Amino acid sequence: MRLSKLERKSAIAGYAMLSPAMLVIALVTIFPIGYSIWMSMNTINSTFTGFQFTFSGFTNYNIVFQSSLFWQALWFTTMYAAVTVIIELVLGLLVALALNQPIRGRGLAIAVMLIPWTLITVISAQMWGYIYNGIYGVLNYLLMSIHIINAPFLWLGSPVSATISMMMADIWKTTPFVTMILLAGLQLIPSELYEAAKIDGSSAWNSFWHVTFPLLRPSLGLAALFRILQAFGLFDLPFVLTGGGPGTSTMSIAMVAYKAIFNDGAFGPGTAVAVLTVALVILLAVGSLKALRTQVGEIDT
Amino acid sequence: MKRRTSRIRIRKLIGYIVLLGMLLIIVAPFYWMVATSLKGNLSIGNFPPTLYPHHPTFYHYQRAFTTYSFGVYFRNSVIVSVIATVVVVILAALASYAIARLPIRGKAPIMVFLLAISTFPQVAVISPLFLILQRLGWLDSYQALIIPYVAFNLPFAIWVMRTYFAGIPKELDEAARVDGAGVLTTVFRVIMPLATPGLFTGGIFTFVACWTEFFFALVFNSSQSFRTIPVGIALFSGQFTIPYGTIFAGSTVAVLPIVLLVLMFQKWVVAGLTAGAVKG
Repeated sequence: MRLSKLERKSAIAGYAMLSPAMLVIALVTIFPIGYSIWMSMNTINSTFTGFQFTFSGFTNYNIVFQSSLFWQALWFTTMYAAVTVIIELVLGLLVALALNQPIRGRGLAIAVMLIPWTLITVISAQMWGYIYNGIYGVLNYLLMSIHIINAPFLWLGSPVSATISMMMADIWKTTPFVTMILLAGLQLIPSELYEAAKIDGSSAWNSFWHVTFPLLRPSLGLAALFRILQAFGLFDLPFVLTGGGPGTSTMSIAMVAYKAIFNDGAFGPGTAVAVLTVALVILLAVGSLKALRTQVGEIDT
Repeated sequence: MKRRTSRIRIRKLIGYIVLLGMLLIIVAPFYWMVATSLKGNLSIGNFPPTLYPHHPTFYHYQRAFTTYSFGVYFRNSVIVSVIATVVVVILAALASYAIARLPIRGKAPIMVFLLAISTFPQVAVISPLFLILQRLGWLDSYQALIIPYVAFNLPFAIWVMRTYFAGIPKELDEAARVDGAGVLTTVFRVIMPLATPGLFTGGIFTFVACWTEFFFALVFNSSQSFRTIPVGIALFSGQFTIPYGTIFAGSTVAVLPIVLLVLMFQKWVVAGLTAGAVKG
């Protein structure tokens, strides 16, 4: 089919309008990712004249795979992501279901739920660090005054309690956002469907599983995907709240890469960790979308 | 019938309890942050803590801006976030209009590509970007953050805005064309005004992402004069103790403007979430 002159002109204008955005994205994401892969296959030495690259195949990956810190951080990050994402989805769904009815103050609730999302994670980490503090933290005070504990507890003092404390801070900050996504999804479900289910004598439990849940799948998939990706990039919270400690027990993969590159100058192995993270994230993203059978919205022309 | 109304009542009651509990849990840590920022140094380190500042003082606010360079961090954050947001809105508006409306090839692959890009963790590009910025002599500069922020926020902004452009009737473009308007005139005079909500949504999400970003800012701009608020607050440290009073004074100042902004544009934020939910 031959394009009319007007159409050809519009198409040229279209490419011209699209290219600045695509150019920036290509330069700052695609090119560096390729470069990352190249870097991860080189031994990189810092010299006076700059960085010296020597191709070394999979040497860096071997170094990474032999490092117990990498495996520990990988396990920590995976476990942390799984636990926080599941709790946030379940909690977010329950709150969204409770709020998905005409009750007063819902507008206010939605406004307040947006606030933790706008909060700088570093600030949240400092805030919780002060609340958890073993000497003057308010959490110890509250728990002691209702006699749950008898003496101040060092929340960030042991690997297990530090991990749980960090998860709590994360759940506090992110559940409201998950709730918002799910609430938005719930409001798209026509109320006639519930009426019909009710007339058919369906119980609340049944109409949840047969009406709400299937229709909410896209929102759940979106929230899960969004959270999994974020959880695997985990960096800000442990960096400030625990510094990866006690010991290295709360080090995330991103922290391992950061420390290798910028504290130890190990560019090659550090970048290999980064590349492995990307591979893992892509697998998880595809997996979680498949699991929830979410489809990328059809691209209308 | 009676049983049914009582069931609805119980449901509502649960709704109110959840709502109140949630508000309390969200607000309490914020209250603690603001209350602490108004306390004197002695009562900040007290146990048991005082639940409200007995002698409120703005001492820490003054220190944050005079002894510490919180003013510099704040200025840096504003410059970087505002410029990055403006650039994202302009580039994303052009790109998403082209994808939604103009007869170009490969629209579906472009959208999938953008979705894929937006899933990449920042750590994936950190070492090459660091080397490139160092080579260019751009470490500790505004562009060191603005350019990556633009690139990382464009995909989502394009996704959101495309939804809006797709919702505007095509007849409007055609009518403008028939009247002899060129592509650019049509875009700026006819379509953009109608797509303003989409631009706001993309803009707000970008601004929040830039304002809260820590990883790039820590790696690329760690010198005192180019630190943004997150880096400044993360690296705030006293000689012997953590200066919580000053940290929370600075944090309160950092939280306020963005909370006001988001509450003002609440409608567009919620619209963005709904767009995400629809398009998934």
